[in-house]
Amino acid sequence: MTTDRAVTSEGRLKAGLRRLVLGFSVLLIVVYSAFPIYWMAISSTRPAVDLFSRATLNPFPLDWEAYSSLLQFTDYGRQFANSMVVALATVAVTMVCSILIAYALTRLRFRGKSAIVAAMLFGYMFPPLMLAIPMFSLFNSVGLTDSLFALVGAHLAIALPLGVWLLWGFFKTMPLELEEAAMVDGCTRLQAFFRIILPLSMPGLITVAIFSFLLSWGDYVFGLVLIMSDQNKTLPVGLASMLGSNDLRWGEIMAGATLIVLPLFVLFTFLYRYFVAGLSAGALKA
Amino acid sequence: MKNDSSVVAFLVLGLLVVGVVIGIPLVHAIQLSLYQAESFVAQPQWVGLANYARVLGDDRFWSALGNGTLIAVSAIVLQVVLGVAIALVLNQAFPGQRLVQGIMILPYLLPTVVACLTFEWLLDGSYGYVRAVLASLGIPMFDWSASRGPATATIVLVSVWIWTPFVVTCVLAGLQSIPKALYEAARVDGAGGWHRFWHVTVPGLKPVLTVVVLLRGIWMFNKFDVVWLLTKGGPVNSTETLPVLAYHQAFQAFDVGGGAAVATISFLLLAVIILIYLRLFPLDEK
Repeated sequence: MTTDRAVTSEGRLKAGLRRLVLGFSVLLIVVYSAFPIYWMAISSTRPAVDLFSRATLNPFPLDWEAYSSLLQFTDYGRQFANSMVVALATVAVTMVCSILIAYALTRLRFRGKSAIVAAMLFGYMFPPLMLAIPMFSLFNSVGLTDSLFALVGAHLAIALPLGVWLLWGFFKTMPLELEEAAMVDGCTRLQAFFRIILPLSMPGLITVAIFSFLLSWGDYVFGLVLIMSDQNKTLPVGLASMLGSNDLRWGEIMAGATLIVLPLFVLFTFLYRYFVAGLSAGALKA
Repeated sequence: MKNDSSVVAFLVLGLLVVGVVIGIPLVHAIQLSLYQAESFVAQPQWVGLANYARVLGDDRFWSALGNGTLIAVSAIVLQVVLGVAIALVLNQAFPGQRLVQGIMILPYLLPTVVACLTFEWLLDGSYGYVRAVLASLGIPMFDWSASRGPATATIVLVSVWIWTPFVVTCVLAGLQSIPKALYEAARVDGAGGWHRFWHVTVPGLKPVLTVVVLLRGIWMFNKFDVVWLLTKGGPVNSTETLPVLAYHQAFQAFDVGGGAAVATISFLLLAVIILIYLRLFPLDEK
């Protein structure tokens, strides 16, 4: 009887200790992941006088001065629009082209097919900067540097292999019988594709859209190399160029950083499961 | 089913776009590397393989290769250790598990520019939060960008912070795929916690980790933006990696051919690594 009680109380102690350690580890993970982001956000709303005198974790009082001066006195608004246009164009073209290639690669039989798949993997690991050098030269020779068009072309080079790679994995799991059944019922191949395959591919397509958006929206390398004028810069390049001559613009820089991140966090909240699915499927940003 | 002409058209159309955005720049990089040119508008002069001989004979190339390897290896080791540890914690059941898993992914969503600027602000020598914390402990702030060790460490740590969530997500998916029965069997055999981790969890995660290490390793090795944003390769080129060297040659040192040669060598290195990778892990074709 007494030994029994000793065992259970020891067991309870152990379980309690376990919970304590787990709770502490979870807290540590949250602080580690979120603190820099929290610091970025509260730095953006700190009054300028406090920003350089008081390092406190308390976000109050809120002050929107940095935001208004960012939007009034810099090209930020213009650059936000540039980033959005480039990202949406990249997403659209990537979705169309990668679905065409990935679908054909899983449905056609021909020699050299795996070479194409391997080439996609190769393209998917390309060092972006190394690709940016010949691209600058090419766009320069046709007078297209410093244009958003060039930037979309460059972003396609990194987003397309990713899209094909993702959808290839996706279509591989879709049995050919789906189309065969539809065609027995009188559909043409194209109809079978549009009516059966495309709707079933929605989850894969959403994942491709998310990750090509992330790649384009966050790109710094191609923007740095291909764009020269302030008015054609995208957000990451514009923001990075605010640091430099005048170091005392940290409030505005952090406000700009917060605004870049905001759309991503909103997307993430609503499309969480596609993010996770894409990540573990090997959908990665370089 | 025989090859359908509409599906063939899909493939041709898609590959045409890939050819334009990736194939042409790739070929052009090789072409550029065989000429000498002071800028992208200057008249190029055929020099054969002279650029390669010059680049490979330069100590700066080899030190960049070394720096890149050092940064990639340390970042990948830390990411895997930290990633597995975090995944093991988040794999336990606790209230708010999904929320914490979501918070853990946030750093990965940040565009590299945002993460780098936030860390520069945290580490700012005059007004940064780290300085304030150290000051309250009576420790003077160090200048992380002044010498090789701390500068390299900062690049590695910021990279680890951004990309560990990718490892965690893959490992979490990997943990789900380990059959519970294996743990039960080990428990019945009297295996302790550590024993179970080493003999069940680690072998179960091996396939996931091999892919993660290779992919993340290659990307870290080819990283341009983190290095450029944090140190520009300094102090005195001591954190310069191959992409930074290529950028410097092509856009700052009036040596387009040299930059292109560095890029082409990187493509070759990458191709060799991928061939080895495909030999080890063949693409499963159905």
